[in-house]
Amino acid sequence: MAAFPYYGTSAMEALNGQATALLNLFAGHGYAREEPAVLQPAEIFLNRSGEEIRRRTFTLTDPSGRDLALRPDLTIPICREAVLAGRALPARISYNGLVFRHQPGEPNRPAQFFQAGVELLGLTDARAGDAEILSLAVEALRVCGLKDFSLRIGDLALFGALVDSLSLPPQWRARLKRHFWRAGYVESLLHWLGHGDGAAKLPGSRADIEALLEARADAPLAGRTREEIIVRALDRADEAAKLHLDGKVADAIAALLDISGPAEEALAKIRGLLKTIGINLDPQLAAMEARLATLKSLGVDLSRVRFTAHFGRNMEYYTGFVFELWAHDKEGPVQVAGGGRYDTMMEMLGAKKPVSAVGCALRTERVLAARQAGGA
Amino acid sequence: MAALSLAIPSKGRLKDNCNAWFAAAGVTIEQTVGARGYRASFASFPDVEVMLLSAGEIASSLLAGDIHLGITGEDLLREEAPELEGRMHLIKPLGFGFADVVVAVSQAWIDVSTMADLDDVCAAYAQTHRRRLRVATKYAQLTRSFFAQARITDYRIVPSAGATEGAPAAGTAEVIVDITTTGATLRDNGLKVLDDGVILKSQAQLAASLSADWTVQARGACETLLGKLDPANPLYGRFAAQLPA
Repeated sequence: MAAFPYYGTSAMEALNGQATALLNLFAGHGYAREEPAVLQPAEIFLNRSGEEIRRRTFTLTDPSGRDLALRPDLTIPICREAVLAGRALPARISYNGLVFRHQPGEPNRPAQFFQAGVELLGLTDARAGDAEILSLAVEALRVCGLKDFSLRIGDLALFGALVDSLSLPPQWRARLKRHFWRAGYVESLLHWLGHGDGAAKLPGSRADIEALLEARADAPLAGRTREEIIVRALDRADEAAKLHLDGKVADAIAALLDISGPAEEALAKIRGLLKTIGINLDPQLAAMEARLATLKSLGVDLSRVRFTAHFGRNMEYYTGFVFELWAHDKEGPVQVAGGGRYDTMMEMLGAKKPVSAVGCALRTERVLAARQAGGA
Repeated sequence: MAALSLAIPSKGRLKDNCNAWFAAAGVTIEQTVGARGYRASFASFPDVEVMLLSAGEIASSLLAGDIHLGITGEDLLREEAPELEGRMHLIKPLGFGFADVVVAVSQAWIDVSTMADLDDVCAAYAQTHRRRLRVATKYAQLTRSFFAQARITDYRIVPSAGATEGAPAAGTAEVIVDITTTGATLRDNGLKVLDDGVILKSQAQLAASLSADWTVQARGACETLLGKLDPANPLYGRFAAQLPA
């Protein structure tokens, strides 16, 4: 694929035909097509996504000095509109359009590509929502004529629940959850937890901490409130005293994070490991099994579904189930679709209460190339 | 036309230190176009054209291949080209222009002393305030790679042209990444460096551009000049093989 793709007539016809088939499929499941502006206010992406996405977002300043961005995805503008317009829930929205992402260090990859996808917002039954989106993703590839593909799945909620079952201070639980999918790093955090010195650097009383702050009254609070600082300082003094994880538990979690393989085998291994440390995650494991059952009912060969324990897609807004669909184009394996659950997004965009959200997107040019190369 | 171009800082302490370093090696610089001119030459090396540029321009000119050699701060070189390999060769650290690029936060943040603390605060800040914590800096590249190593993602960079140390008090950013020598400026602004927040220990470097036009004459002039500047070490030999054929 060229850095600056030029779509000739036949390429455009093929893409359009494929897009029509996809949008018809989505419409058949109740998803109405919408189209956000290509040029968006920059802050909606920059404030919500972290520096990783920001560095891949094209930003520009208009002549009046406003910061704008070329949309790096359609999920955020679509969710934002649903919040601003106070859309009735559940809402089912589909899209097909260009997105723009800078490819750092890879000047020959195109910085613009087409994405077709769906967002399911506000369906309270999470399990039904996961199944609906996963099925749609699989059907979407089939509608495009791509029969031969494999899947990678993971679940950030499984590990959230695992970490919540540990007797650790809340800050440490948050830290482990935030980082669990970074292979290697969580292992080092766990190791540190087993060997932490436990020495408190800060005094444990509120009065002492307030005195410390008083002595630094000239320094700026720098965007945080006095109370935020005091509360966290107290938490930190407290956590230093409590910081400890049973060595056996730490090892079991590290082993668990290492699990990756055919989904059914991987789940069996996880069950076995959890039993040895007496932690019950049955609801989360049942949810994963339900997803496998969904795939089976769609006729997907489960030996082509891999579960990777630390897999959480390198996007900072996913919160639960995550998946990727892979095929082969003439150069090798390519990710052709991906999606998952992002239950905190709507609140980040201003919703007054939590709104569940799950969606998926297809890289339609890659789907086309994979189909033309003869599948996986 | 001179065979080899060398850029040195056009003003300030870096310029004075450069002149002193050349003088110590027995090489004197003659400014050609008036005392405030921006061209100079070495009396003993007519093949070398000396250009006086700003420290930042020297880094970008080396990267662009507009000059063969340059003397400037390592911080600027690494910011300009995060991956130096194949683009630039650091010939020799010069033992002056010492400064650290550091992550600094308000002294009022008594609960923050490490990058791990900052990671927690970034995540909590994004949740509580519904926007990312801002890091003011002119070192966007260095900041990104250092924060990535520390596994911090919940932040955004705010470009800062100058007086970065004032950003937390002015309310334009919560955290800064800036250069410091003694730490006095940071302290005066109520800031402190994180325990593990030193991104780069920088000093002035003599650097070669690997993408400049390295003619046979330029190579010859470079070898002669480096031999005079540091007779004890085969400085040219260490990177000659990296030059384009």
